[in-house]
Amino acid sequence: MDEEVTLRPCNLADVDDLYEYASDDKVSAWCRWDTYTNKEDLLNYMKTCMIPHPWMRVICYRGRPVGSISVTPYTGWDRCRAELGYVLASQYWGKGIATKAVKLTLETVFKDLKDLERVEALVDVENFGSQKVLEKSGFTKDGILRRFWIHKGTVRDRILYSFISTDPFV
Amino acid sequence: MNHDQNHQKPKTPTITLRKFTLSDVDSFMSWAADPRVTRFQRRDPYSDPADALAYITTHILPHPWYRAICIDNTPVGSISIKPAPGEDRHRASIGYRLAYDYWGKGIATEALKLTIKAAFEELDDLERLEAIADVDNPASQRVLEKAGFKEEGILRKYVRLKGETRDMVMFSFLVSEF
Repeated sequence: MDEEVTLRPCNLADVDDLYEYASDDKVSAWCRWDTYTNKEDLLNYMKTCMIPHPWMRVICYRGRPVGSISVTPYTGWDRCRAELGYVLASQYWGKGIATKAVKLTLETVFKDLKDLERVEALVDVENFGSQKVLEKSGFTKDGILRRFWIHKGTVRDRILYSFISTDPFV
Repeated sequence: MNHDQNHQKPKTPTITLRKFTLSDVDSFMSWAADPRVTRFQRRDPYSDPADALAYITTHILPHPWYRAICIDNTPVGSISIKPAPGEDRHRASIGYRLAYDYWGKGIATEALKLTIKAAFEELDDLERLEAIADVDNPASQRVLEKAGFKEEGILRKYVRLKGETRDMVMFSFLVSEF
């Protein structure tokens, strides 16, 4: 498994592979974005958001893009913290790929992003799969933020997890 | 100074909230220029009233919800509500500051209670008010608890404050609790 999961920057040629999960309702269910219905929209997102992003990687399994992971810093005084986000094609769930991608990310992101001291992740209280990924990656649960975000029209609670620069890698 | 013979807690003075005007700059300096008050704020204390005037003009006056905490219509502090960015219109955060001489009298708690009421009555769709307090600021944590906020957790290395990255305690107050 270890050598099989790698991270690399995104390029526009990845659109076909990324479209496989971006067009999957199972994948978008926990995300803020709606399922993509055409590649042009995805290409536009890749051009305007993924490629210029301060820290965005494509997750590859055996060399093939199967997801993406990003660490988005806050600005100004708050740039000591950044939010982790990741998405993985549903046929690759349950194999430890997301966990490996998160661990690989934590190993380099504190060096890559100047001033970063805290990586946080916000997960829906019912997204047990993602909670497990974070716990297995060494994140600490800070607490539950009640009625924190609006997800597909409904106000929901979110769990806040953190990994700070001095936490041990697991 | 409390000369009450039967050792009752001094009553909180009657406080009101109102919008700021430019003529409040001297009152504003009574807390904004005081390092004891700005200790847990990101900004350094103001030394020049001209800077304070600029801040009132550019930040306070156009702000969606920023009020002076007043005793006899004289500002002794301020309290503000900031809606969350983007899609999360149901969420807003509260910040407050009080002149040092007015600490320990229940004024911040009272201002917070008035603000909670105003927030849920005035802001459409509001469901969650939140506030953070430094882990080394128990006075502010107590103010939030006395006003009915619930502690949700400690956010490690959450904000940068005067050259140091600080742990903060997150609190929230839900519309269902109002």
